[in-house]
Amino acid sequence: MTHGVRTVAVRADGLSRWYGTTRALEEADLALERGVTGLLGPNGAGKTTLLSILATVNEPDRGRVSVFGLDPRDVAERVEIRRRLGYLPQELGYHRHFTVAGFLDYVAILKEITDRRRRAEEVARVLAALGLERRARTRIRALSGGLRQRLGIAQALLGQPDLLILDEPTAGLDPEQRLRFRELLSDLPGDPVIVLSTHQADDIAAICPHVVVLLQGTVHFTGTPAELAATAAGRVWAAGERDARAHLSWRGGDNRWRHIGDHPPPGAELVAPTVEDGYLLLSHAAGA
Amino acid sequence: MTSALPGPAGPAAGHASDDLLASYATGTAGPVAVWSVEAHLTGCPRCRSALSAHVAAERLARNRSVLLVRVALPEGGRVQRALRRCGVPDHLLRLLAATPSLRRSWLLSVIGVVAVAAGEAAAVGYGWIRTGGPTVLVRYPGPEVLAPFLLVAPLLVLAGVAAAFLPMFDPAYRLAVAAPFSGFTLLLVRSVSALAVALVPVVLAAFLLPGPGWLPAALLLPSLALCAFALAAATVVGPRAAAIMAGALWAVPVLLLAAAHIPLLAVQRNAQFACAAVLCACAVVLLARHDRFEWGWAR
Repeated sequence: MTHGVRTVAVRADGLSRWYGTTRALEEADLALERGVTGLLGPNGAGKTTLLSILATVNEPDRGRVSVFGLDPRDVAERVEIRRRLGYLPQELGYHRHFTVAGFLDYVAILKEITDRRRRAEEVARVLAALGLERRARTRIRALSGGLRQRLGIAQALLGQPDLLILDEPTAGLDPEQRLRFRELLSDLPGDPVIVLSTHQADDIAAICPHVVVLLQGTVHFTGTPAELAATAAGRVWAAGERDARAHLSWRGGDNRWRHIGDHPPPGAELVAPTVEDGYLLLSHAAGA
Repeated sequence: MTSALPGPAGPAAGHASDDLLASYATGTAGPVAVWSVEAHLTGCPRCRSALSAHVAAERLARNRSVLLVRVALPEGGRVQRALRRCGVPDHLLRLLAATPSLRRSWLLSVIGVVAVAAGEAAAVGYGWIRTGGPTVLVRYPGPEVLAPFLLVAPLLVLAGVAAAFLPMFDPAYRLAVAAPFSGFTLLLVRSVSALAVALVPVVLAAFLLPGPGWLPAALLLPSLALCAFALAAATVVGPRAAAIMAGALWAVPVLLLAAAHIPLLAVQRNAQFACAAVLCACAVVLLARHDRFEWGWAR
């Protein structure tokens, strides 16, 4: 599914990647424009592999990638992509003996910010953006998981990247921090290309104008969150009892059962579908 | 108050004018005016107070944040400060902080292994312990006593360099790969530092051993050649396999020579020529294939 005419900044065509005998990606196509794109998919769908390929960390076995018209197969163009990139890997390792400011300073050098004054300004900027100023001198080994995640996001923002790739950035954040993260993405200057993977459908609905659903290594949906929700229109029901014929059903906070399926349970009423409903229906149809 | 303040924008009733303070605060004042204002400010609380009104609150906050960050950054040890004074760029020194083989725990481990290998050779060589029977004291019983040290010393240097470039030792490896900073430069900075640091205990220990006087110098070339081989081979077979191959390249011949009771052959004249040849060949390979260290897509 596609929508409208748009300027594609990042394009992936026919990406395939195998780890031994395990298929991670199979002929995945992707087109990203400026703004936030959410990548939804269950565990093992290939999200991390896809994002690491876009971040020029991994190489696909087949397929092509173009980032701002640059081809990562060429060394010089790969370095140019990296100059415009901010990347938060899913499992970011830290030098645990570093302080928060020391780690950011180290990453800033890797991003070629070698001038001491400019580096300190940039580190101060991202510390403030993530509310980490008071932790600047804290050693990383003393940080909680949530604070480390904020540090990971902070390092990705160094250098004001034009392409921001965030692999599960909201994992480990408390509700308030998730809201602050949404605010942060909304306030980023320069209209960068942002792609983030998440399991949180409400994150997608709240901040992503575009959504991509990846299932079993293949892109199954590209469109807006409203379009994803609309794929479940007429197939989401609320009822007082569970219905075994539903693809999925669960009891909500109002003690009523929410059913997703083609057959309405007795006495059920049709309800407006959400992004999560659309995603779950797609997953079920794909057998993921 | 002071006549150092320049004419038209100069002192009114002995103080700096608002215009002069404003141009000083925004950095648009000329060098002479800046010097005059600064000389005046040191002795005039009223003008210092007036100056604060001309500095944007946002700029003050930014400067404060930058200052806090600078305070939070470690200055480094004596060696780093000395290198900085010698002109080594600050950012290169900062990169060394992420090199495991330059950390104290690693160095202590290296010193420990060197001490055991060299200590055993010294103890036997100088007759501190008895060998060959309960009543016989042997002084420098033969070159084979040096075999464990000859085996271990270059391997320790190689291990330090391998730890400086193997991804498994860098928890933030993915960030380094996805960053534009030259992977080859990063590799060289870390490897050369690790090599230099690891050589110190190895060479010092060699001085204390009961072997030939040229032994400390003779260990340098094999150590360099092994490290260069590991780096060059990493452009072909990957870093881990390269480090293992380099280790085997040293360990196998030394063990064979030790079994034949001639371990010193591993560091004598012909071996030195061979090491020099390996070093040169590896330097050529590294120069030709250095872009393979821009890891990521180029596996």
